[in-house]
Amino acid sequence: MELIYIPLILGLISFLVPSSIVRHFGLLGSLAILGVVIAHVAAFDPATTHYVLNPSKVFPLGLTFKMGYDALGLLMLILTNVTLPLILLSNYNRALSQDRVFHALSFFMLFGLNGIFLSLDGMLFYVFWELTLVPILLILYFYGEKNNNPVLFRFFIFTFAGSLAMLMSFFALGRLAGNFSYEALLAVELSPQIGILVMIGFLLAFAVKIPLFPFHSWQPSTYTSSPMAGTMLLSAIMLKMALFGMIKWMIPLCAEVKELAAWTIMILSVIGIVYGAIIAIRQNDIKVLFAYASLSHLGIITAGIAVFNDEALFGACIQMLNHSLLSVGMFLVADILEQRLKSKNLSDMGGVAKLAPIFGFWFAVITLASVSVPFSAGFIGEFVILYEVFNFDIAMGILSATTLVFGAVFMIRAFQLSMFGFPKIESFKDLTINELAVFLLLGAMILFLGVFPQLLKDFMEPCLNNIVNSIASKP
Amino acid sequence: MDSIIIIFLSAIIGLFAGMSDKPMRSLVISMIGLVAAAILFLFQGQYVSPLVKYNILNFGKDEVKFALLCIGLTFTILIAGYDKVSKHKSNSADIMSLILFSLCGALILIGFSDLSMFFLGLEILSIPLYVLAGSNKENLNSVEASIKYFFTGSFFTCFLLLGIALIYGATGTFDLSTMQELIIEGSYSKAMLFVGVFLIAASMLFKVGAVPFHFWGPDVYQGSPDNITAFMASVVKIAMLFTFYKFFSTIFSSLFSFWSGLVYIAIVLSLFIGYLAALKQEYYKRLIAYSSITHSAFALFALLNIQNGAASDLFIFTVGYGFSVVALITVSMAGLNEEDKISNLKGIGRKYPIVGALFVFALLSLTGIPPFTGFFGKTLLFYNVFTTYPLLVLFGLISTAIGGYFYVNLIFTSFSDDAQQNTMVLKPTHQLVLLLCGFFILCGWLIMLLPN
Repeated sequence: MELIYIPLILGLISFLVPSSIVRHFGLLGSLAILGVVIAHVAAFDPATTHYVLNPSKVFPLGLTFKMGYDALGLLMLILTNVTLPLILLSNYNRALSQDRVFHALSFFMLFGLNGIFLSLDGMLFYVFWELTLVPILLILYFYGEKNNNPVLFRFFIFTFAGSLAMLMSFFALGRLAGNFSYEALLAVELSPQIGILVMIGFLLAFAVKIPLFPFHSWQPSTYTSSPMAGTMLLSAIMLKMALFGMIKWMIPLCAEVKELAAWTIMILSVIGIVYGAIIAIRQNDIKVLFAYASLSHLGIITAGIAVFNDEALFGACIQMLNHSLLSVGMFLVADILEQRLKSKNLSDMGGVAKLAPIFGFWFAVITLASVSVPFSAGFIGEFVILYEVFNFDIAMGILSATTLVFGAVFMIRAFQLSMFGFPKIESFKDLTINELAVFLLLGAMILFLGVFPQLLKDFMEPCLNNIVNSIASKP
Repeated sequence: MDSIIIIFLSAIIGLFAGMSDKPMRSLVISMIGLVAAAILFLFQGQYVSPLVKYNILNFGKDEVKFALLCIGLTFTILIAGYDKVSKHKSNSADIMSLILFSLCGALILIGFSDLSMFFLGLEILSIPLYVLAGSNKENLNSVEASIKYFFTGSFFTCFLLLGIALIYGATGTFDLSTMQELIIEGSYSKAMLFVGVFLIAASMLFKVGAVPFHFWGPDVYQGSPDNITAFMASVVKIAMLFTFYKFFSTIFSSLFSFWSGLVYIAIVLSLFIGYLAALKQEYYKRLIAYSSITHSAFALFALLNIQNGAASDLFIFTVGYGFSVVALITVSMAGLNEEDKISNLKGIGRKYPIVGALFVFALLSLTGIPPFTGFFGKTLLFYNVFTTYPLLVLFGLISTAIGGYFYVNLIFTSFSDDAQQNTMVLKPTHQLVLLLCGFFILCGWLIMLLPN
């Protein structure tokens, strides 16, 4: 429970903290929550589900207020609570770090996110799901570019409509189950027709948030018009809740139509992988480039989820961690370039590596990590997923493997255009200490995951087995 | 009954106190009356009333809940409107007393168990409102609102009376429980009863402001003084919604197959016409009027669920809706002049962060975003009709998504940073009301977790 209420309390306190020290408060607060998560990890047995709240009564609306986590939920909690301090730290020397409201909203968002990963009740899941939307919307509005209202409306209406579709699915499941507890929803046997409708409802919500191919049109414009921290929150944290929702809620609850679900997600993901990569290659705006790169990278993860066996899910998990860390890195790079060059355009850049060698080095590290060189976490994740996708369907496997080539092309192109060549600028301030710290931490974690993936695998194996078995037992 | 008498007496005393030209006295007397009435409601049944008991009013558990809600909302509206009302010293006591008289009507409407009492309550509710709508005599819009409201209102009262007469003709009684038995037995004249039910349904749809009888709403809401708009949009609407529900879930419940189709069509039309019209509004209270049309439609979902006792769902919904609307109009009282343009709200959230936050709460509650009461109320109503009317729930959710657009637009407007000559003057009364409303918007849904 403390994972829920500590962020809420910290968020309220943030309003009272003087703005000169609010950045320290934010960082320490988020680290404190991370400490709580680690305490939970230490006391956790990976094969079980740990309940933090388990009332037996059913309240009106079928609410049961069951909360708890299994290894997957705990992994997501770690991911979220590790990423938030990194985001706040990378924000340390920017104007936003003086803002109380920003820190309060970040904590409110963390409150919603921790709630999502802890919910074992469908309605509660929906409540927390919607709760995260408001803080991020306000962050984007307050600190984004001026006159970005149309962009935000598109973002809001897409996500809100998607969530309402999910609410409809929950209604159907809840009515059949009698209450909204996860076990009861899991036990429902859907007829194929209803199963398809329920699946579509979930898919709309998650596909908009991730985003999958035809629902991605809000993403590039929102990313470019947001402040750096907003983009990071969206891409590193917020879309992970949709991936989690797919693994934990959508596919197990619609196991009756798992074939259809798998193929739908697979095809949309493969389109996203190829389409995102091709568009990213042609981009000159570095933030748009990273937005489409993100679309392409996420395609790999959702393809892994579509296969839905324990190997592929493990690949998806490690790739989710990797993507969160990389997003922080990539958008930090983009923001450093944008801030110091006053331009987002790759054609205005060049020769930065000569002027700022440390930055050049760390951009190279991020680039290599994102093209999945061996010893990086992406290497493990992508290869496990691609292997499983090949087993699933050879054509899909070949198409998704193009990411290895395309991904290298757009990342290295961005790196080359900005870092090498003749310098078009006089001077470029090298990394500040907080930026360097973020890059160091990111590099260390990516390397660690790339070298010791077995640790994560042992941790996740029993839980993923359970999830896979639970849907295998359904017809 | 005792509570109604107390409110009535406090209104009369307040009226006399108004002669001293000290509006504060009238306000205090009204407040005391309201609090005393609320306390009497809370302890109802635990003491023997010294006053005569009639069989024509019956306050059960649901009725008491709604009565308390109406009293609470009137309380906040009186405080919120005090600042403007007290500027016209000679009139202020009249306005406050008329609001209380109207509240008496609302309480009678909530508690009626006899058709004659129903009609009386409706008239006691409406006649002060006609006066109040025109109480800002310097403003032509207010006069227009009053006249429009009076003509359309009395027109539909005629329908209602005819309906009551026909129902009396069909069954031969005014008493609701006897009538219910007769209808279940089937000993009634069929044609007369059905025409009567139809007419009553039409006039009730008019009173709650649902399509196709919504046309008076925007003009009347926009023209009336702010506190009266708040009263009409919250107390009057809630009392009428509950009456509608009570009427059709008790005596006419066995005719469900006859009137459910009518209500269904009215709901679908209101769901879309209200919100679609609200998308393009430039005037603040007009926007609230259009959005309240759709909120009536959400509340009418309760009628399609009469078998399972949707009164508690309706209650949660109306708590969220009522306090949100009062909060919205309080913001307009403080921040908008008579021109009532939405664009004048620009930047109030930046100037007064707490007002901004509460404004956002109210708007999100109306949009239906958790964890606000509006979300839970709406979801309860939707969820409980889902098995029988899944398509209707789908329409409701689509309409909710449309509503999201202009509610979020209002949020953005209030935090916009081109604060052009923002003339907001925030009085302590407004702050108090906003905080009260904010509390209920945030925590009102916890009521549903209580064991009765």
